[in-house]
Amino acid sequence: MVGIDPKAATKTPPKVVTIRVRRYNPVSGREWWQEYKVETHRGMTVLDALLKIKEEIDHTLVMRYSCRMGVCGSCGMVINGTPRLACQTQIAEVADEANPVITVEPLYNFPVIRDLLTDFTSFFEKHRKVMPYLIRNDREEQEDPKGQYLMSREDYEYLEEFTLCISCGLCYAACPVAAIDPDYLGPQALGYLFRYVIDTRDEAWEMRLKIADDEHGCHRCHYAGTCSMVCPKVVDPAQAIQRLRSILFKYKLGLYRKKKISGISPPPKEWKPRKPLPPEAKPVSSEVDYKKLEEEPVVIEVEDRRITLRHKIYE
Amino acid sequence: MSSGGPRTKRNMPGLLRASLNPWLVRVPDHPERLAFVLHRVTGVIIILYLLAHIVVTGTPAWRGWAAWDSLMTQFNNIWNQIGEFIVAGSVLFHGMNGIRLLLTEFFGLCLGEPEPPKPPYIPPTYRACQRKLLYAVFALWPILWFVAGLLIFGVW
Repeated sequence: MVGIDPKAATKTPPKVVTIRVRRYNPVSGREWWQEYKVETHRGMTVLDALLKIKEEIDHTLVMRYSCRMGVCGSCGMVINGTPRLACQTQIAEVADEANPVITVEPLYNFPVIRDLLTDFTSFFEKHRKVMPYLIRNDREEQEDPKGQYLMSREDYEYLEEFTLCISCGLCYAACPVAAIDPDYLGPQALGYLFRYVIDTRDEAWEMRLKIADDEHGCHRCHYAGTCSMVCPKVVDPAQAIQRLRSILFKYKLGLYRKKKISGISPPPKEWKPRKPLPPEAKPVSSEVDYKKLEEEPVVIEVEDRRITLRHKIYE
Repeated sequence: MSSGGPRTKRNMPGLLRASLNPWLVRVPDHPERLAFVLHRVTGVIIILYLLAHIVVTGTPAWRGWAAWDSLMTQFNNIWNQIGEFIVAGSVLFHGMNGIRLLLTEFFGLCLGEPEPPKPPYIPPTYRACQRKLLYAVFALWPILWFVAGLLIFGVW
């Protein structure tokens, strides 16, 4: 799998790498490749190198990033021909002394706004189209729930991997069908759709199947499977789409029925009243000795899951 | 803003690059992408062959059997045999890979079971038997194509 290489942290990157960035100026319409030489350090990521370029060499370089730890999914870009998260890709993983050149391009299949910055508007429209949230027939109960929707451990484990998607767009950039059909829902949206179709708490599965049953839906997939290979969170959208197609195949023949719809947990038989809260602490004197406050340690008392911070100057 | 203001750039590889280049997205250990490209190319070859086949077999209806006999004599050459050899290879790969795709896409078989991610973080699809089927296709294809070649070129 691309994106997680536990040995990368133990490798030493080349002292200086050449970062080749595919740039684009939206005003003049000019496209060009630009090279930067960057001194590296151990553990340096491609995002670190790009930020170093932006800080020290070229302030005009544009990219999107946020968390720097592979959680937000903002810094997806094509690194040495592979869609990857720049913050998760170490220099040592993609370059060595023999070949110290790293090419960085904006994600394929997304409109480029500038340099490495891509437009996700259409991508998120497709995400919204599959209604990625629970829908129950009893809408009043859903708005004002009386209990929790029950779900067995096995049912959760079956769909857990599909819940890990961070919508980074790498799968969409790797997809050969998205490279041809701009209206194709894409592996990310179809993965989400499948995740809710098989969710035992969801009751809108027929509506979701109708969304997938479209010329730009799951039938457009050709099972090249690159989406699953580039996913940084080991979500398996290729499998999700194939399973969605087999569900649709059975559904069209009238053979598919959702196995079960989860119930709602009953209210507990006996409510255990919580211990009454401690009376509000009041200072001995209205004048707080702040110097004493800084010197003396803080006492923490834990009472029935409620934590109160008190200082010795309080009673 | 001399050229009409800022505008986004389309960044889609397009039909030919996506359909013909299995290394458009470089991913190691990924034979499915190669199979996708081969399946698409062989599919186009089969469609072109079928169109030509319909035209040729329709010849007696609109030009008579004499024209048919003449056409068959003309087709009896090495270039036609090479064409048949390519078509045979296409049909063999497309058919065998098609069985794998039917099993996975229509019946949801050979895909493995979804499971929470765990080391070594290989998606279940690629540990499932569909990949073994694909390797079997890649192994059988040249053997059967070779046998077809022996029949087409009259060696056997």
